[in-house]
Amino acid sequence: MFGLGKTQSIKLERDLYDRVKKIADVAGYATAEEFVAHVLEKELIHFEDAKNDDDIRNKLRGLGYIS
Amino acid sequence: MSLLDSIRGLLGGGAAKYGEPIVIVSGLPRSGTSMMMKMLDAAGIPIMTDAVRTADVDNPKGYFEFERVKDLEKDPDRSWVREARGKALKVISWLLKDLPDDNAYRIVFMRRDIDEVLASQNKMLEHRGEDDTTDDAIMAEAYRNHLASVRIMARKKPNWSIVEIRYDEAIRDPAAVARRVNEFLGGRYDVQRMVEAVDEKLYRNRKTA
Repeated sequence: MFGLGKTQSIKLERDLYDRVKKIADVAGYATAEEFVAHVLEKELIHFEDAKNDDDIRNKLRGLGYIS
Repeated sequence: MSLLDSIRGLLGGGAAKYGEPIVIVSGLPRSGTSMMMKMLDAAGIPIMTDAVRTADVDNPKGYFEFERVKDLEKDPDRSWVREARGKALKVISWLLKDLPDDNAYRIVFMRRDIDEVLASQNKMLEHRGEDDTTDDAIMAEAYRNHLASVRIMARKKPNWSIVEIRYDEAIRDPAAVARRVNEFLGGRYDVQRMVEAVDEKLYRNRKTA
């Protein structure tokens, strides 16, 4: 994050980019890229959170849907 | 492979590669998957079930499950899934990732308000005498992330097609939902019998406005 690593480009639809830019400006981010990176980092934590998976597995096992 | 199979492969593309599609009814547990299985059963679609899990207070009309589905995540031998070609099989959303890629899947994906799902699941856990220590807010977030992952996965699978059905809509307007499901599955089935399989009384744990 914050430009310390190598970068890759991702394309966004124009409308979405305009919304991102607007909010990034209002929220005080230096660039739209910095804002997008911050939001993605926060979201990725959820997807990468193995504990979430364990919570789901425990629940499903208790309900009798997985072995 | 015979010459005839080769010609079929050249002409038929995906159909020849994957065989007859498997209809998968999926979603989070307690999101109306059993009701949808009952609708498909009523419509005349063969159901792959061993009836090991029988009807109870949580599912008075039965579960329509096949026991080996529960082992999909752990058991590396998933070749049996092919036996479901041309039939309907219930696979909860968590296990969709474990379906083998050598079949075509038409997935009827049930959606329901997460709070209602959790309320219903918690009641079921209670009936089963299971301890449940995970906070509902944490589970809700985990389920939302899981459902997002399923959507992302679905985009990458050329052998999957999905229709999403809202449980509350199926209760409120079963005719519209039955038509949509029938159309998704090729339009060959008995819509009226699907409608008749919906029992509004089983919509419990309903969120009040």
